[in-house]
Amino acid sequence: MLRRLMMGTLFATGISLAAVSTAPADPINLTIGKLLELTGPLSETGPSQDKAIKLAIDYANKAAAAAGVDIKAADVGADVQGDPQAALSAARALVAKGASCLIGPSITPESIAIANGLTIQKKITIWPVGTSMRLRTIKDEGTIFRTVPPDSLQALALVAGIIDKLGTASGKLVSIAYRNEPYGEGLAKDFKAAWEAKGGKTQGPVVFDPNQATFDSEAGEIVANNPDAYVIIDYPDTFAKLGASLVRTGKFDATKLFVPDALAFSTVPGNIPAQAIEGARGTRGGTPTDTDAYKVFDKLWETAGGAEHFSLDANSFDSTTLCMLAAVAGKSADPAAIQEHVRAVTTPGAPKFYLTTLSDAFKAVAGGEKIDYVGVAGAFEFAANGDPTISRFDIFEYRAGKLAVLKQIDAAK
Amino acid sequence: MIEEASAPPSPRWHSRLPPAAWLALVIIAALALLAGVKGPVEAGQATINGLVDAGYVALGAVGLTLIFGILRIINFAHGDFLTLGAYVALMIAASGLPIWLAAALAILVTAAVAAALDKLVWEPMRRMQTSTLQLLLAAIGIALVLRYTIQFFAGSQVRSFGQDILSAVNLGPWHLGTLQLVALLAGIALIVAVGLGLRFTAVGKQMRALSDNMALAEVTGIDTRGAIRLTWIVAGALAAIAGILYAAAVGTINPNFGSLILLSLFTAAVLGGIGNAYGALLGGIVIGLAQEWSTLFLNARWKPAVGFAILILTLLVLPRGIFGRVPART
Amino acid sequence: MSILNADFWIGVGVIAGIYGIFALGLQLNVGLTGLLNLGQAGFMCIGAYAMGMLVVDAGWPILATLPVAIAAAVLAGVLVGLPSLRLRSDYFAIATIAFAEIVRYVLQNAAFAGGNQGIIGYDAEWRDFAAWASDRLAAIGLGEQMQLPLLFSIWLVFALCVAVLRWLRRTPWGRVLTAIREDEDAAAALGKNVLAFKLQSLAIAAALAAIAGFFLALNVTYLYPGEFDPTFTFFGYAVLILGGFASYGGVVLGTIVLWTLIEGLRFLDLPLSSGEVGSLRFVLVGLTLVVLSMARPQGLLGRRAEMQLRQ
Repeated sequence: MLRRLMMGTLFATGISLAAVSTAPADPINLTIGKLLELTGPLSETGPSQDKAIKLAIDYANKAAAAAGVDIKAADVGADVQGDPQAALSAARALVAKGASCLIGPSITPESIAIANGLTIQKKITIWPVGTSMRLRTIKDEGTIFRTVPPDSLQALALVAGIIDKLGTASGKLVSIAYRNEPYGEGLAKDFKAAWEAKGGKTQGPVVFDPNQATFDSEAGEIVANNPDAYVIIDYPDTFAKLGASLVRTGKFDATKLFVPDALAFSTVPGNIPAQAIEGARGTRGGTPTDTDAYKVFDKLWETAGGAEHFSLDANSFDSTTLCMLAAVAGKSADPAAIQEHVRAVTTPGAPKFYLTTLSDAFKAVAGGEKIDYVGVAGAFEFAANGDPTISRFDIFEYRAGKLAVLKQIDAAK
Repeated sequence: MIEEASAPPSPRWHSRLPPAAWLALVIIAALALLAGVKGPVEAGQATINGLVDAGYVALGAVGLTLIFGILRIINFAHGDFLTLGAYVALMIAASGLPIWLAAALAILVTAAVAAALDKLVWEPMRRMQTSTLQLLLAAIGIALVLRYTIQFFAGSQVRSFGQDILSAVNLGPWHLGTLQLVALLAGIALIVAVGLGLRFTAVGKQMRALSDNMALAEVTGIDTRGAIRLTWIVAGALAAIAGILYAAAVGTINPNFGSLILLSLFTAAVLGGIGNAYGALLGGIVIGLAQEWSTLFLNARWKPAVGFAILILTLLVLPRGIFGRVPART
Repeated sequence: MSILNADFWIGVGVIAGIYGIFALGLQLNVGLTGLLNLGQAGFMCIGAYAMGMLVVDAGWPILATLPVAIAAAVLAGVLVGLPSLRLRSDYFAIATIAFAEIVRYVLQNAAFAGGNQGIIGYDAEWRDFAAWASDRLAAIGLGEQMQLPLLFSIWLVFALCVAVLRWLRRTPWGRVLTAIREDEDAAAALGKNVLAFKLQSLAIAAALAAIAGFFLALNVTYLYPGEFDPTFTFFGYAVLILGGFASYGGVVLGTIVLWTLIEGLRFLDLPLSSGEVGSLRFVLVGLTLVVLSMARPQGLLGRRAEMQLRQ
C-alpha cells in the first residue's frame, strides 16, 4: 500500500514537472470517504455506489494527471448499514482514516445524524443522494451539497412530462404508487398536489412494502379503473417484482407509465421485465446541452464490469468529481478548503466543462479560474442551501431497453 | 411437541370439529361475505393472492416449526437457510447446469450445511445442556455468519434466476403467475408429505417421541443423535426448497431476503401451533388471506401490520395457536 | 494510528451505553424474571417518539418529556403484558415481537407521527446544553470532542440504573422475581400474585427502553421508524447473553465487548473490496457470538446455576 502510494506520488510529481505551464504547488493527496450501504435494508444499493465513486476517482485521477495537475485521490469506505447510528460511527471511522469529503449516505436520517454529530463541527462536506426536504431543516453551515433535485421540482417535471404525452391534465386520471419510504412519500405528495392543481384527478397512492412476497394485490389496485397514466416511484430491485405483478394483471400498459429519477437508467437493468418498462417515460435532472457525458459514463460502467446500474449512481459519480475539483481549486485536501471552493467549480455563467473535458476543467481550476462543471446527472450551480438550482429536466422514454431523451423542460416555469 | 392434525378419537370426537374444519368454515364464510361486499372478482383475486403468500410462507415455516418443536431451538438462522439454498442454486445455475439440477444440488448442499452445523455447534451445546438463551445467541451468530458469507461471495446487489415470471394462468376473471402456482402446489405437496412422514414412518415417530420427551426417548433406545441429525437435514432441505421456489417465483432476491421474511415464518409457525407441519400451512393461509383481504379495505401499506395483528388476536383466543394442545401442567 | 481516534471511540461509547441501558431491561425480564421479552425495541420506540412529539408538536422542554416518555412506555408494557403474560414463554416472545413490529408499522404509516419522514428538531435545548458543557470541558482540554457531554450523560444514567436495579434485586420484591423465575407455581402457592410481579418487571424494562430511546434520539437527532426494527432487540440480547445471565455487571461488560468488536472491526484493513470487508465484518461478529456461546455458556460474568429458563 505504502509502496503504491509512493509510486503514485512519484508518478504525479513526474507529470507536474513535465507540465511546466502549471504553477508548481504542493501535491494534494486527497482521501475520499465512501458512506456505503453495504449491509442492512438498503444493501442492494451498496455495490453500485461503491463502483460509481471508484470509477470517478480513477477517471479524475487520470484526467488530472493528463492536465499536469498535482492531485491524487484515494478512497476509503465504511458501512452505514441503513441506520443513522451506524452511519454516524461509519463517518467517524472514515474521518479517522483521513477522509476530507464524504460521498453519501443514501437516506436523509443518516445524513442528518452525520451532519449534526460530526461533519458540521469539522467542516467536512457530505454529498448525500436522499431527496427529502427534511434535510434542509437543519443548520448545516454550508456543509451538505446535494446533486439530486429536490422533490418539489421533480414533481413539476413529472406533471409536465405527463401533460406532454396526454395533451392535458384536465380530467385525466393518474394512478400513483410508491415504495413505502421517505423518497416516495415526499415525491408522491408533491406530485399529487401539482397534478390536481392542473385540474387532473388521482387515485391511490398505493403504498407497497418492499419486502412483501407478492405484489399482486398492489398491482391490481394500481391498474384499477383504467387510469390515463401511472406514476410509480420505486427503485429497480422492487420494481423488478412489482413490474412482473403489473404485467400479470393483463391490464397494464407500460406506455402509460411515468417514473422519476430513481428509475432512470441509460440501460434498463436486466432484472426488470421489458414488458413492465418498455415505452415508459420518465424524468431526471437534465444536462444543459446534449453532451456525451452519459455515453462516456456508461462506457466506463460497462468496461469496469461488476455491479449493474442502480438509482442515482451518476450522482455519486458526479459528487466525487466535484469534490476533487474543489480540492484543486482550494489547493488543499483540507475539508474546509474544499467546502469553500465547491461553488468556484459550479459557478453559474462561468465556462462550462463536462466529463469529456474534465482534463481541461482541472487545468482551468488549477489556474485559478472559476468554472461551471456539468456532471453526468446534470448541472448543479448550487443554491445557498446547497441544493442544485438547475430546474432543467430531461423527459425520456425507454426504447429497446435504452433511455432516449425526448425533450427538455424547465420545471420551474 | 409434534402434534397431529386431527385429534385422536375421543368420546367427544363427534361433538367437536377438528380445528382445521372450523378454520375452513370460517374462511369460506369470510370469503362469501367479502364476495358480497366487494364483488366476487376482487374478493376472489385477493384470495388467490393470499394463497400464493401462504404457499411461500408455509413451506419456509415447516422447517422452523420442526426445529422448534423437536429441539426447542428458536432458530433465528432459519431464514438464512432459505437464502443459502437460493444462492447456491443461483451460483450452480450460473455455471451452466440446468436449473432443476442446480436446485437439486443446492438442496443437498443446504441440508449438508444444516447437518454440519448440528455436528459442530448444536450437538456440543446439547451435550453441555446449554440453556435456551445460549442457543438463541448461537442461532443469531449462525444467522450472521450464513448471511454475510453468502454476501461476501455473491455481493449484496439483487440477483435473479431469470425465470419467466410474467406468464400467468387465467381462471376466468382471476389470474395468478404460473411460477406462483408451481410454488404453491409444490409447497402444499411437501407439507403434506412431511406431515405424513412424521405420522407414519419410523423416523417420524422417533422425532415425535423426541419432541414429547427427549430423556424418555433416549431411555427407550431411540437413536436420538440420528433422529436429531435427520431433523436438521429435513429442515435444511425444506428451507432450501422454500428459498429456491421463492426466489424463482418472486423474481429478484438479495442476501437479506431470508432474514427479512423470517418474522412472517415465525408468525405462521406460531399461529398454527409450534411443532405442527399442518399448523405451519394453516398459519400461513390465515396470515396470507388476512393480509391480502385487508388490501380490499385498507391501503396496502398496512399489510405487514395486519399480519402481526392477526397473530396477536389469535393468540388471545387460542394461546397455543390453531393446532396447539391444551397445556399439560408438568 | 487512525484506530486510536478519540471521536470514534467516544461514539462507540455512546452506542454501547445506549444498548447497555436497553439491555438492562432485558436482563431484568429474562435473567431475573424468566420473561422472554422480544418487544423491547417497541417500548424504546414509544419512549423516543413520545419525547420527540412532545417537544416538536407541543413545545415542551426536553427534560420534562422524559417522565412522560417513560410513563408512555410503561403503559404500553402493562397493556401488552396483561393479555400476553399468560402465554407460554415462547408464544409470549413472538407476541411481544409482533407488538414491536406493529408499533413500528403504525408510526411509519399513520399520519400523526410524521410517517416515513419521522420527527426532527427536538434537540435544540440539548445542543445548547452540550455546547455549554463542551465549553467547560475545553478548560481541561476536551472541548474538541463534541459528543463527550452525551457520553458522560449516558454512562451516568447507565450507572445509576445499574445501582438501582442491583438494590431492587436484594429487596423482598427482587427475591420474589427470582422465585418466579425458579418456580412459578411455587411462588403462586406462597400467595404471590405472579402476574402482578411479571407485569411490574415488564413495566420497568419498558421504562429502561424509553430511557435508552431518549438517548438514542439525542445521538441520531432524527427519529424515524426504521431505527426501531427488531435487529435492535436482537443485538440487545447479544449484549445480555454475552455479558452473562442474571448479572447487571455482565450487561456493562457485554455491551462494551460487543460494541468494541462490532465498531472496531471498521478498521479491519484487508486488500478486499468495501463490500467484501463489510460482509466479513459481520461474519466475524457472528463467529464470535457462536464461539462465545459455546465456550462460555454462562456468559462473561454469569453464573451457571442461574441459567435455567423455564418454559
